[in-house]
Amino acid sequence: MSRLHSSVSALTVAVAMAATVSLAALAPAVANDKLVELSKSTDNWPMTGKNYNANNYSEANQVTKENVKQLKAAWSFSTGVLSGHEGTPLVVNGVMYIHAPFPNTTFAVSLDEPGKILWQHKPKQNPTARAVACCDVVNRGLAYWPGNANVGPLIIKTQLDGNVVALKADTGEEYWKLENSDIKVGSTLTIAPYVVKDTVLIGSSGAELGVRGYVTAYDIATGAQKWRAYATGPDGDVRLADDFNSANPHYGQKGLGQATWEGEAWKIGGGTNWGWYAYDPDSNLFYYGSGNPAPWNETMRPGDNKWTMTIWGRDAETGMAKFGYQKTPHDEWDYAGVNVMMLSEQQDKSGKMRKLLTHPDRNGIVYTLDRTNGDLISADKIDDTVNWVKQVDLKTGLPQRDPEYATRMDHVGRDICPSAMGYHNQGHDSYDPERKSFFMGINHICMDWEPFMLPYRAGQFFVGATLNMYPGPKGDRQKYEGLGQVKAYDAINNKYKWEVMERFAAWGGTLATAGGVVFYGTLDGFIKARDSDTGELLWKFKLPSGVIGHPMTYTHNGTQYVAIYYGVGGWPGVGLVFDLNDPTAGLGSVGAFKQLQHYTQMGGGVMVFSLDGKGPYDDPKVGEYSTEIIRASN
Amino acid sequence: MSTFTLSKLASASRLALSAGLAAVLTTAAGAATVDAEKAAGANPNELRICASNVEAPFSNKESTGFEDRIAVVLAQTMGRKPVFVRNDKPGIYLVRDQLDKNTCDVVMGVDAGDARVLTSKPYYRTGYVLVTKADRNITTSDWQDQQIKDQTRFAVRFYSPAETMLKRIGRFEDNAAYMYSLVNFVSRRNQWTQVPGDRLATEVATGEADVAIAFAPEVARYVKASTTPLRMTVISTGIDRPNDKPIPMHYDQSIGVRKNDPALLAEIDAALEKAKPQIEQILITEGIPLLDPNT
Repeated sequence: MSRLHSSVSALTVAVAMAATVSLAALAPAVANDKLVELSKSTDNWPMTGKNYNANNYSEANQVTKENVKQLKAAWSFSTGVLSGHEGTPLVVNGVMYIHAPFPNTTFAVSLDEPGKILWQHKPKQNPTARAVACCDVVNRGLAYWPGNANVGPLIIKTQLDGNVVALKADTGEEYWKLENSDIKVGSTLTIAPYVVKDTVLIGSSGAELGVRGYVTAYDIATGAQKWRAYATGPDGDVRLADDFNSANPHYGQKGLGQATWEGEAWKIGGGTNWGWYAYDPDSNLFYYGSGNPAPWNETMRPGDNKWTMTIWGRDAETGMAKFGYQKTPHDEWDYAGVNVMMLSEQQDKSGKMRKLLTHPDRNGIVYTLDRTNGDLISADKIDDTVNWVKQVDLKTGLPQRDPEYATRMDHVGRDICPSAMGYHNQGHDSYDPERKSFFMGINHICMDWEPFMLPYRAGQFFVGATLNMYPGPKGDRQKYEGLGQVKAYDAINNKYKWEVMERFAAWGGTLATAGGVVFYGTLDGFIKARDSDTGELLWKFKLPSGVIGHPMTYTHNGTQYVAIYYGVGGWPGVGLVFDLNDPTAGLGSVGAFKQLQHYTQMGGGVMVFSLDGKGPYDDPKVGEYSTEIIRASN
Repeated sequence: MSTFTLSKLASASRLALSAGLAAVLTTAAGAATVDAEKAAGANPNELRICASNVEAPFSNKESTGFEDRIAVVLAQTMGRKPVFVRNDKPGIYLVRDQLDKNTCDVVMGVDAGDARVLTSKPYYRTGYVLVTKADRNITTSDWQDQQIKDQTRFAVRFYSPAETMLKRIGRFEDNAAYMYSLVNFVSRRNQWTQVPGDRLATEVATGEADVAIAFAPEVARYVKASTTPLRMTVISTGIDRPNDKPIPMHYDQSIGVRKNDPALLAEIDAALEKAKPQIEQILITEGIPLLDPNT
């Protein structure tokens, strides 16, 4: 054990040296809007959510409600890794950039000839990283930076061991490497980097180990750190602007990153962010959610635990927070609030055009805020079976809790909805601006919470809980099916236009298209297409393994393709990945998804579809070694 | 790993059955070991001892822990054959998962007065200790002493009063990441995770930690065996609590039996009295500082 400890330190030293050596001094970067331009074309998918609105919406309309049933496999690619594949590939200028979970291999393939790998980056990582990560060894994706006058385009990636690496997009060569999260303090990285102009934003993981969460901005051209904003602690560390929450003072303003904690508990208070970002170029604000407080046992951290569980609007240049809205003060359920932020512009009920941010939270509420100042516009239950909260008071922003579904130590909680997995987890959902619909992949899972206290010798004791998870009230609790839903949501009129139950869960999120078709993958390994207006199931295909990522689409040489990662894992797949049988393992995930093993097994790769399977190998001579055939003369 | 253990045990029991023997494996020490899953009912000629395979230095798979040896002495004094009923879970689960399920009959080393069980007369009393490198000359027995407050790196047992001490002297948060490193960052999220006693002693001996705080039996043999001289000082001061009794630093250790088993308890109490010199010898050999009753 002590040997392991010292080898970790050695790694850190080596990494630090590598970072110093490869950080070249470069001319100051100039802001550019190339990413905005790239994202406008249906040919590209240059960031995880397609564009800065993070709406996973493509104007590609070759695939329609009428012809989607003609989708056939065009090509596929195996990453060679058998763990959960979250996120989605990027496509920029005719190249697909593919990422994989630990060991975090990255591949570039040409869309003209995907059978040949242009380059691959296979980092050497300390295997300790695998042990430190809490729930499988996922990674949520890559970021693309178009370059400036001095530096060519870069692909930015995160590694589980806490390093961030910039690769030259054309060769895969490492351009810089830096340590963002110190694995020596239990901090890992699973988040996709997020590029805003010439800055890359990086989150953090490890709240369950008491890591104090932060988001960091680096100058992409040089790798130099610009600022770091914490979720807890003194206002200076949290980077609160002078007018922080001035539009909504009842959300809380100054001093609360310390005052809402006992003693110095904020130092190990969690609030990491490992989900998704969105950005508004007009206001230069970016948006994300900080996650759950630490430690896990809520009795050990009295107070609201600000600013964990918070929707943030921060200035991308300075990191200063304009607003912060805490959704779940003093979390008791592990409702880590890192979920996707989707930006839209819609008329509110009074007909006023508003710039909105919509966030389906793990706590079972989908929030819509005015993203210019944080005003709370709506907070609807993702499903009417949500019961820990009666409603969210739009005036105060506070959840009105039902004590029956609390997780106090003196109380056995039965049928708490949602479970610790949330009704919505890390899936990246979509918004169709023409239909004004949010398409949400939802978990329908509830839990029993039986607290226990075990004494041990010499006054020691252990406080824990037995968690059992099972389908929500609308699922089949005998067969353990009906663990998910997909819904089309209208945030202005607080309505669900359509909804459908799924056998497992649409864990990874959805893709909306101008063709009127919405796509998503399921844990049991189907990619499905539904009519965006009616929800009617139009097409599906059985993938080699279950899906926990979100689909994307691109056009290439006039053909529209739909791509999706397969590779079951993540929290819902821990039972499969680690071969667990105890139903309470994985905090109850193993029990909830016990039927999954009868539908899918591990895998890892990308599958790409097009109408009639049209694709790069339509001419079978493409990529052949030889076209000359030598025939027997007989 | 658990799969491997299960299949190994399953084949062991098949072997035992085919040989027409009871499903017990006799050890060289004259004691027997049986898996908790396979335990037979109580037999008046045996003393079934609830035991963990992963509770060194108290108990281990080979039954060479100091409590294992005390249990053997106890059983022999009672005229019974010691049978260790073992599983791979930490000792904290013994009462809930073994004793209460009747797979075994006695649990060694519970606090006197543990409300879940009937407890025997105490067979020893000891306390929490400060472990430091001898040449540091940290001689205080008060955890609030400036000598202790001035230290930066602390290695402690989780879930113990030592964590409360660190919070009181403002050293908990700054030590959190280091403490997680001692368990290889296994998450404490809803699971019992513990720093092994030998690791605590090693951390101090190698200078990684300035101070280790533990219940004496958890570290005594490792402190004694350390090639770097270590100082082990019994803590003299409790932890004050507003509106409550202080958290004590000294504890009586007893043997627990099920609440409906007073006859067995009486037998144990009688045997403890008889075996006192032998038990004390084991404790002294272990290096545990023994305290007088009510001190």
